[in-house]
Amino acid sequence: MFEAGGVPRAALTLQLGSYAGFVGAHWWNLQDAALRCESEVQEQERKICPDVLYRAGRTLSRQETYTPRLILMDLKGSLNSLKQEGCLYGDTKIDTSVAWQGNLMTHQEDPPAKNLFLQDLSKLEGGMSSDGGFSPRALPLSKDVSQLPTQLHVSQKGHQLEGSVRVWSDYLRVRLHPRSIFMIHQYNDDGESSQLEAFGQGESLLHDPTYLEELEDRLHFYVEECDYLQGFQILCDLNNGFSGVGAKVTELLHDEYSGRGILTWGLTPVIHNVGVSWKDFYRLMNTVLGIVHLSSHSSLFCPLSLNGSLGLKPEAPVTLPYVHYDASLNYHSSAILATALDTLSAPYRLHSSQFSMVQLADAFNSSGRKVVAAGTAVPFPMAYGQSLPDALCSYQLAVPWTPLSSCGEQKDSCCFAQSVVLRGIGKENHISTSYLIQGPCKVLPPYPQFFSALLNKQGFLLDKLPSCSTAVESIPVLTALQSSPALYSALYRLYKELHQVDVRRWASFFSAGIELYDFQEALHELRTLSQCYKTSSELDESEDEADTD
Amino acid sequence: MSAVKALNPKAEVARAQAALAVNISAARGLQDVLRTNLGPKGTMKMLVSGAGEIKLTKDGNVLLHEMQIQHPTASLIAKVATAQDDITGDGTTSNVLIIGELLKQADLYISEGLHPRIVTEGFEAAKEKALEVLEKVKVTKEMDRETLVDVARTSLRTKVHAELADILTEAVVDAVLAIRKPDEPIDLYMVEIMEMKHKSETETALIRGLVLDHGARHPDMKKRVEDAYILTCNVSLEYEKTEVSSGFFYKSAEEREKLVKAERKFIEDRVNKIIDLKKRVCGDSNKGFIVINQKGIDPFSLDALAKEGIVALRRAKRRNMERLTLACGGMAMNSVDDINADCLGHAGLVYEYVLGEEKFTFIEKCDNPRSVTLLIRGPNKHTLMQIKDAVRDGLRAVKNAIEDGCVVPGAGALEVAIADALVKHKPNVKGRAQFGVQAFADALLIIPKVLAQNSGYDPQETLVKVLAEYAESGQLIGVDLNTGEPMVPAAAGIWDNYNVKKQLLHSCTVIASNILLVDEIMRAGMSSLKG
Repeated sequence: MFEAGGVPRAALTLQLGSYAGFVGAHWWNLQDAALRCESEVQEQERKICPDVLYRAGRTLSRQETYTPRLILMDLKGSLNSLKQEGCLYGDTKIDTSVAWQGNLMTHQEDPPAKNLFLQDLSKLEGGMSSDGGFSPRALPLSKDVSQLPTQLHVSQKGHQLEGSVRVWSDYLRVRLHPRSIFMIHQYNDDGESSQLEAFGQGESLLHDPTYLEELEDRLHFYVEECDYLQGFQILCDLNNGFSGVGAKVTELLHDEYSGRGILTWGLTPVIHNVGVSWKDFYRLMNTVLGIVHLSSHSSLFCPLSLNGSLGLKPEAPVTLPYVHYDASLNYHSSAILATALDTLSAPYRLHSSQFSMVQLADAFNSSGRKVVAAGTAVPFPMAYGQSLPDALCSYQLAVPWTPLSSCGEQKDSCCFAQSVVLRGIGKENHISTSYLIQGPCKVLPPYPQFFSALLNKQGFLLDKLPSCSTAVESIPVLTALQSSPALYSALYRLYKELHQVDVRRWASFFSAGIELYDFQEALHELRTLSQCYKTSSELDESEDEADTD
Repeated sequence: MSAVKALNPKAEVARAQAALAVNISAARGLQDVLRTNLGPKGTMKMLVSGAGEIKLTKDGNVLLHEMQIQHPTASLIAKVATAQDDITGDGTTSNVLIIGELLKQADLYISEGLHPRIVTEGFEAAKEKALEVLEKVKVTKEMDRETLVDVARTSLRTKVHAELADILTEAVVDAVLAIRKPDEPIDLYMVEIMEMKHKSETETALIRGLVLDHGARHPDMKKRVEDAYILTCNVSLEYEKTEVSSGFFYKSAEEREKLVKAERKFIEDRVNKIIDLKKRVCGDSNKGFIVINQKGIDPFSLDALAKEGIVALRRAKRRNMERLTLACGGMAMNSVDDINADCLGHAGLVYEYVLGEEKFTFIEKCDNPRSVTLLIRGPNKHTLMQIKDAVRDGLRAVKNAIEDGCVVPGAGALEVAIADALVKHKPNVKGRAQFGVQAFADALLIIPKVLAQNSGYDPQETLVKVLAEYAESGQLIGVDLNTGEPMVPAAAGIWDNYNVKKQLLHSCTVIASNILLVDEIMRAGMSSLKG
């Protein structure tokens, strides 16, 4: 009764790291596609509330804007053609007036080449000047979607972006608020020197008062204006130094905003394994420290990756039955994770329910089980007109989804707690699931078209190959978040892999801030964490292990 | 053949002369990039990124951070130079110039067969003497406002144009003087720097109070309050529904409702306590009452406060809490249980300013503000950044001067004096190390030379005039950049920081010596990790 009905319980998103940028860019694009299609669907079907993750604003020239409530950290060089300030709030005229009366020397970098998608996008939004100089004022996305030009589907024609995507900004369709992009200038995105590759480096970055103040200022900007803040969702790279940044950020949020939910998704790109090198140990140590610290400061932590496992020699990436993705492309793998995220996060983004992040986390948190595993079926295989029970029956006891948390295949569907969301299935086949959302997941360009030819435009299965292939525009998606016993072996395996080696061999890892003692402590915590997921059947087995330690 | 070659045939190796050549060319390269920066007549650099973003700077430190330096030696020098800035807030450009010049001068002797070790011994002897000269020429005096203004102006004129520099000079000096406490180190943290993209850069001003970048979130709250009590607190005034939702404490919907109500009541009680205090202290007078809370305030609480004529700001930044009490007085309260009139601060004027979607709250006319705000204005982002960088350096310069208790004449006067003293000192140094001393003396003269050159004068001609004038008058003589003639910087009010110069002499000598002593460079698939 005191919760004003209809007031969105706002959440702030943080993206830390470049793979987080990849996943995030796809995710915002998906949401953007849903927003643009909104005018087509009927009101009651619109169940995911965009106001949870977006904010309405206004530029200095009084134009309305609708931008993600987002803070995004990445390294120098990852923006390519994107301006750090975005172009929504740009100056009305190009102002190069200079507060200096003496000599002036100009160093101008060549504008980077834009891929076909970005060229189309800028044409669409106000005509890119052909000289490629300063970006023109883009058409701001107003909250009133009906004003949007209808030719937005111009860029429907499939772009083969696979070859031209180097960084996430190469396919980001959404316009960002100037306070969103937070560049770390100390380290380079690529190249040999100055890489952010160890947990300790990331952690010490936020000991620097300039970065810390800047982060606090940005948090303040987004949080202060929220009447009801439900919490933070954090996308964080686990494999590099950003796991340390994430550890610090979650710690800060935990201290500063008590009572808010902090949902952390630990991301790892697909790892191509050619032999174990020091880099794999770095990755593993970052992952372990990340899991331990992120889970301890967050309300809920979920690793997300298409890798079979996160260990030194990761198993082959998972396969999805109706998606032919190229595992070597971050552009592809991140699209799948983003699709899963868009559906996984649905419970706390709904219009109708008052369910919040804190409640979602609480449902899983019993007995210290802060880590959960995710699974998804992208797309959920169902023939058009088939009923949901029929579609599910074919699975018998097996789970109808592919694991996304690198915990290996599950033997059975037993778990401590779970949240299952199914979207894009028509009203006619109603059954009781945890969450059933009618709107499907819109997969408009620049989403990669990597679907099996057996899918129709709405993402439903056909029984035979169609004569001409059509682009898939939307898909039904099933996701599950589970606190499952499979996490025991996954976490314990990471512990064992590092427990067996003498980490002092990588002295430079420890020169960057973290002490050996802290590391051993974290390793121990990982073990304790893994024990939370032990079921009685595994108990005897692990006691033996304890003896041999 | 180098041993590493036997082990790793791919290793690249440069030895002795070749190694030195590699290092010197890197140092000279860096020097060439930065040399046009030096002094108030240096060249401003506009960096335009591929995406069209503009960065405007003349500050060596900022430039070094912007460059993606790949050469390991150059990156080493850049790190030392930027460390200089971290410690003292100035001197990056001079640092790079002197290191480059030391290596160039040393190379002359080394190419004639002098061992680098001997040169570095000479450098060391020269540094000792130079520090002695520095101690001798430093001017210890009372750091009154006038001197501080001179110091700040010397620093700021090299960063922004003269008109703006004079405005900033007054602002930074008054800011530091306001927050200074006797016998305590100066905490520049108590000077808040706030930017507003608005009006022109010359509207930048010192606000004797605080400017917060947020405003009241209730339409009925007043936009302008005079003579106001300020309550600074860190108390949650929002219903967080944590207790109710997280447990399974309720059996039925009614019971849940009851729990929700109870918790809501809890928040209401807190709000009422604040309202009570307001009624007590303000009575029927016209005085205003402002609540600045570090935690959240939800719409219901805002509504209740607004009805009582209280202006409330939520989610104040943590770092502003201390500043608030220093600016307005009073105490930051962590609970409303025992609030009374003594906890309150006071401000003569509080008003809100709206700029697009951003709101600013000015808290001004404080009785005895010990925390102040430098409000930077400018028409565009790059100007704001340029002023912000300049203001930071200006503040550091004033702080350094106060803490040193002394200043050093600028305009190249110190370098001329040291060079002269070193030449006279040379015979006291034994053996070939004399050449090192000579190299050091010649290297320091790069500063007056580049100053003259950047102002459009012939460097040699100016240098000869200055040296002659120095020898003749015995006074410290620098370069007048408006005429190219010698002048007395002390009379013109050109003062540099003592500790900047001291740090400069130390770090340049150490790094130049280290680079000279490098005998072999190899590159053999090293990991790129750096601390």
